[in-house]
Amino acid sequence: MTVQSQSQLQSESSSTAAIYFAILGIVTTAFGLADLLVTAGGAEFVYGTAILEIPNDIFRGGWGGLVVLSAGLFYLSGAKNIGEIHQFAKVAMGSILIWIMAGSDIFAMITESIPGGEDGSWFNTLDGFLAMYAPPYAPAVLLLPFSLVVLYYIYHRD
Amino acid sequence: MTLSLEERWTLIDKISRETVTFGKYEHTLKDAIGELTVKPLTGIPVAIAIMYGFWSAFGSFAGTLMTDGFFVKLFDGYWLPWLQGAFPGQGSWLYSIMVDAGGLGGSEFVLSDTCFEAFGVLTSGIFVAIGVVLPAISIFYLMLALLEDVGYMPRLAVLLDTVLHRVGLHGYAIVPTILSLGCNVPGVAATRILETKKQRFIMMTLLAIFIPCGAQIGIMDKVVPALMGWILLYLIIGYFIFGYILNKVVPGKAPEFLIDVPPYRKPLMRNITKKIWGRITGFFKVALPFVMLGCAIVNVLYLLGVIQWLGDVLAPIFVGWFGVPKETAGPLVAAFLRKDLAVAQLSVINMTDYQRITAVVLVTIYFPCVATFAMMLKEGWKELIAAIGVLIIVVFTYGGLIHLIGIILGVAE
Amino acid sequence: MGHPNVGKSVFFNRLTGANVTESNYPGTTVDYTKGWMKIEGEDVELVDVPGTFSLDPKDKAEDVAVAMLHETRDVKVISVIDASKIERGLYLALEIIEEGYPVVIALNMWDVAWDKNIRIDARKLEQILGVPVVPTTAISGEGIKELVSRLKDIQPVEVDDIIANAGGLT
Ligand SMILES: Nc1nc2c(ncn2[C@@H]2O[C@H](COP(=O)(O)OP(=O)(O)OP(=O)(O)O)[C@@H](O)[C@H]2O)c(=O)[nH]1
Ligand SMILES: [Mg+2]
Repeated sequence: MTVQSQSQLQSESSSTAAIYFAILGIVTTAFGLADLLVTAGGAEFVYGTAILEIPNDIFRGGWGGLVVLSAGLFYLSGAKNIGEIHQFAKVAMGSILIWIMAGSDIFAMITESIPGGEDGSWFNTLDGFLAMYAPPYAPAVLLLPFSLVVLYYIYHRD
Repeated sequence: MTLSLEERWTLIDKISRETVTFGKYEHTLKDAIGELTVKPLTGIPVAIAIMYGFWSAFGSFAGTLMTDGFFVKLFDGYWLPWLQGAFPGQGSWLYSIMVDAGGLGGSEFVLSDTCFEAFGVLTSGIFVAIGVVLPAISIFYLMLALLEDVGYMPRLAVLLDTVLHRVGLHGYAIVPTILSLGCNVPGVAATRILETKKQRFIMMTLLAIFIPCGAQIGIMDKVVPALMGWILLYLIIGYFIFGYILNKVVPGKAPEFLIDVPPYRKPLMRNITKKIWGRITGFFKVALPFVMLGCAIVNVLYLLGVIQWLGDVLAPIFVGWFGVPKETAGPLVAAFLRKDLAVAQLSVINMTDYQRITAVVLVTIYFPCVATFAMMLKEGWKELIAAIGVLIIVVFTYGGLIHLIGIILGVAE
Repeated sequence: MGHPNVGKSVFFNRLTGANVTESNYPGTTVDYTKGWMKIEGEDVELVDVPGTFSLDPKDKAEDVAVAMLHETRDVKVISVIDASKIERGLYLALEIIEEGYPVVIALNMWDVAWDKNIRIDARKLEQILGVPVVPTTAISGEGIKELVSRLKDIQPVEVDDIIANAGGLT
């Protein structure tokens, strides 16, 4: 397939996009690395006023960290020349990985928030239910809103 | 009249030139993303992410929400105590089989606290089937149906083609393997898409031996969550080692064929619900009776002393060769009917973590469940007998090897 | 009959109300399934078979399909073709026609072909082949009614005629 026939993003919005996703890429990569380091270190990490919580178990921190890291690398390698479809696909893929991660984390929160716990009643109390959704959040959940920007570009490509 | 191959293509060429016009085709985002998922460098992270999502959703829904959130409470808190009181004739045979064996084998009758310990058909049997396995397979089949309908499976096949070729299998072998993770029966059926007898035989044997089904994975995740990683690792390594060996010793060819990759499609809600519904009703018709029957048979054998006798007779093998307690004999009998039940029974035997890993791996590889057995028989009795031969060798060598590794690591004796 | 993953099972389920598995990967169906459908008040038996690339089977699933065709000479064949890959689909269709079976061709995945800017002149194709050719989109049901309505008057055709209609083999 020829490349030149593809619809290019308009050049100015394309450079904004490139900068945006490059920055997002750097942050995401950093989060991914932090995940892996914290897991290797063994202790859970909660940042300052409890916004960010980096899990330390092999599954969420280790494998999950690997996925977040890959998402970051997808963003970084796709940001350059983002108007080109194959490059843009990498950025989209970065966001898809974040959605899988954040989706898993949020679904986990939901399933934990509903039952009443071992000694409690059948269902959780309203307070207990809501408390589950309070910060700190896992990296992917924090990245989620920023990753959604890709949708804008998907719908405004042509 | 029939045409030769060339004539036919010439004719098709002519016809299509007259009737088909190929317009300018633009590479879409979907195509570009499709390419990313099959190239190794980008495809492997995607595959890891998908597995992550699969496993996370599985644990959250089946484990956290359904089983631990509601069913354990329901069965241990209400169902078990109620039945223990309402069912007549405590200590009688029927009571032991149906409700609570009260610490089987022990001299004194003690009422059990949990549905895992009770062992009764109406307690453990129903709890395992409804409380643990049903939620597990529901979410499992939902995820599987999504993967199937989106069109990810053929891409995974392309991605894994090189790796699987090492074990004499085509990349497409991943399709039966993944289907087997739901249930081995459709997995065995799906081996028909492999070209040669050799490939089919290797695939079928590996599936029956090394791939745990969704029901079993569900219960494993419930009773030995911390050891899951090790158990799965041992199974995957075994799959490749014995695949490699089988490829070397089984005569025949393992030819190439091109994998046809369909475009990604949006899954149809209607189709997804239809699939899940079909599989859940199938569970009630086939699996549930088998779980209960398995429970009953094992209980009867216990009461007759057969299991204890078997344990004593086989003790040298169990203890000496595999390094697991001789009580494992009971679950191994149950494993023939239902592996999920066997894993549940293993969970109440007193043993070290490493022994538990070994025991669960043994239950998985030791014998296909009856349903799989029947399906393999349908594919050919010669293959089935050969597969059983392989299986016996694998159980002894691999089981011994795992024990040996434990000794070397200093976690077994 | 048709290649793997062209939508045969979707057709079968729609026509008979059965519950055969439909998935987006080749090799979903590995065994045949029989079902009944009504054509103008008459009960007709319909068989869903595994996909096959040609009438020269390469694996056990293709074997089932080809054996099913050869066992029952007295059948009409719905040849399902992926319209976005029409050439290879025609190959199998021609093989079946050459063996003397009455055939109706469903140009399925019409929506996909359309999106890919592939335009097929179904009427002309029909003239050349001498068998009914119906564009369909099985998942939404488009074209299925017409397909069924044309089933009753299909006839075997001579491949010589097709060659003549196409203007010779050179
Ligand atoms: N877009 C589109 N998708 C279709 C159409 N027909 C079928 N599909 C999809 O194509 C996929 C394959 O359909 P199946 O009916 O399972 O294919 P099959 O021909 O039975 O395939 P095998 O059993 O593997 O030989 C499914 O995901 C369907 O939803 C169509 O007309 N348009
Ligand atoms: Mg089918």
